[in-house]
Amino acid sequence: MEKFKSIIRDYPFIAFIIAFVILAFVPSVVFTDVYQSHLATLIFVNIVVAAGLNIVKGYCGQVTVGHVGLFAVGSYTAGTLFLYLGLGFWVTLPIAIIVTAFFGVAMGIPSFRLEGPYLALATLGGGEAIRLFIENGNFFRSTFGISDIPTPSLMGFNFDSPDRYYFISMTVMIIAVYFSFSILRSGVGRAFMSIREDPICAAAAGINVKKYKILAFILSAMFAGAAGAVYAHMPPGYIHPNNYTVIEMVTFLSMVVLGGLGHIWGGIIGAIIITIVYDLTRPLYKYQLLIFGLTIVLTILFMPKGLGGFIDRYFLEKRFKKKTGTEKT
Amino acid sequence: MLLKTKQLSKSFGGLKAMNKVDFELPKNEIRGIIGPNGSGKSTFFNLVSGIYDSDPGSYIEFDGHDITFTPPHEIAGYGLSRTFQLLRLYQDMTVLDNVMSGYHTKVPYKFFDAVIGRKKIWDQERAIKEEMMELLSFVGLADYAELNASELSGGQRRLLVLARAIAMKPKLLMLDEPAAGLSPVNVDNLMKIIMQLKEKYGLTLIIIEHILKVVMDTCNSVTVFDHGQKIAEGTPAQVKDDNAVIEAYLGKKMDDEEMRKALAV
Repeated sequence: MEKFKSIIRDYPFIAFIIAFVILAFVPSVVFTDVYQSHLATLIFVNIVVAAGLNIVKGYCGQVTVGHVGLFAVGSYTAGTLFLYLGLGFWVTLPIAIIVTAFFGVAMGIPSFRLEGPYLALATLGGGEAIRLFIENGNFFRSTFGISDIPTPSLMGFNFDSPDRYYFISMTVMIIAVYFSFSILRSGVGRAFMSIREDPICAAAAGINVKKYKILAFILSAMFAGAAGAVYAHMPPGYIHPNNYTVIEMVTFLSMVVLGGLGHIWGGIIGAIIITIVYDLTRPLYKYQLLIFGLTIVLTILFMPKGLGGFIDRYFLEKRFKKKTGTEKT
Repeated sequence: MLLKTKQLSKSFGGLKAMNKVDFELPKNEIRGIIGPNGSGKSTFFNLVSGIYDSDPGSYIEFDGHDITFTPPHEIAGYGLSRTFQLLRLYQDMTVLDNVMSGYHTKVPYKFFDAVIGRKKIWDQERAIKEEMMELLSFVGLADYAELNASELSGGQRRLLVLARAIAMKPKLLMLDEPAAGLSPVNVDNLMKIIMQLKEKYGLTLIIIEHILKVVMDTCNSVTVFDHGQKIAEGTPAQVKDDNAVIEAYLGKKMDDEEMRKALAV
């Protein structure tokens, strides 16, 4: 056991390969109908977005409310590349990631001068502008949406149904979460946190604040772009501007807040819980927004560091007591 | 000379916070900076460390580099570290992360290696962690490494800020009121730690401090600021008897005749 632990510590990707193998058996063992595979794909897409949002908001502390716009850029890059050039998933995914990264730079530039609620307003404007641009442009099929975006196929095998597409979304999710873990656990994650806590002190400690802020925006935009492309190619392959409204943004935010802002597992825990709850409460659709609004408010009031921070705290207090023999209040 | 300023000036609107200061600091010296509130001590730190841009015509040189208009993170990269009067702790990070983030300029690996998560990254991270734990146990905070910085007491926070500033192994360490708000016992302890660290890392120090005992006991030389100008410089004993210094600190020195007149009216 001890040896296994040290191997995982040196080569963390082994843990992700194990997770991949376990998740690969889930559809055939656990799921009873196709809808559950579809829901799982949605969860994976949300995990990728939330993991990216956790980098820029949770770790770097930049309050961005325009992230859904970047998600839309990812989707529509993939959609339009198919529509006009007939390109498939394997080409559109990397292009969507690169294009979204450039939009991430644009979204991040205001953060040099603005912070807190003012930055939130600026990015909110950015995200909404992207959505309205799509909605009012014939180039993007405006409110008709882009339909029949094909599912990917690999060596003759077509991932054309939800239980097959599950493997695509799961692979992207595992890779994205692996990258987010390695970035956040390294010195880069620490630099992000220092900027969140005190940019002036971070600068005096040798951290290039502007560079790292933009880096956080680019990284999280790449995550959103990947998620957007996976979402666009998901069967039945239909995207519509209404999928990228502020309401979706609130859902993404509530994922990160519930999971734990600045906790390495934050976005992931939140995305799983919120997506499932969102699905279970579909019959109560009138009250869904109320539920998510309340979730955010109550989490911030009673668990400021979310579920992740809450669990961490419990184990930390146990360890501290064991080490020093005193209670830490 | 490790640090040299020429004609260093800074004005905020009409107020001259720093007025043509020439300052020289050789290596391995402990320099104290004293002066009344608002005399420009902290402004001097902010100008040297690049937080403020100095006015045109100023010149700052550190360790052979012209750092007059260099951004703060590059100055830190040359080996200049500082603490702040208001601490500026990273409240919501663990004590260990606080210290490790101070090591940023010395982190050996590249960003893309970290993204891919190669083995050598985790080895290096562990080495950094061990080194920082050693530093923490040196200042006596090793037991608190996993706690949030906001959970420490005032005295422990001062020690943590000190440890964070030393983590980057600077050539010059500038301490802005390291002993403010500490009890006499803690002040002695802190000064002891600072002296030990100086020996261990071969530091050059500049200390702003209002507790004169600290300055007189530890510093090799003292610079006195008043109204943004350097009014005296020398050994602690010389500065203590300087008329300009006494005037700045205690008001004008009066002889008996003046005193009688002032009281009679």
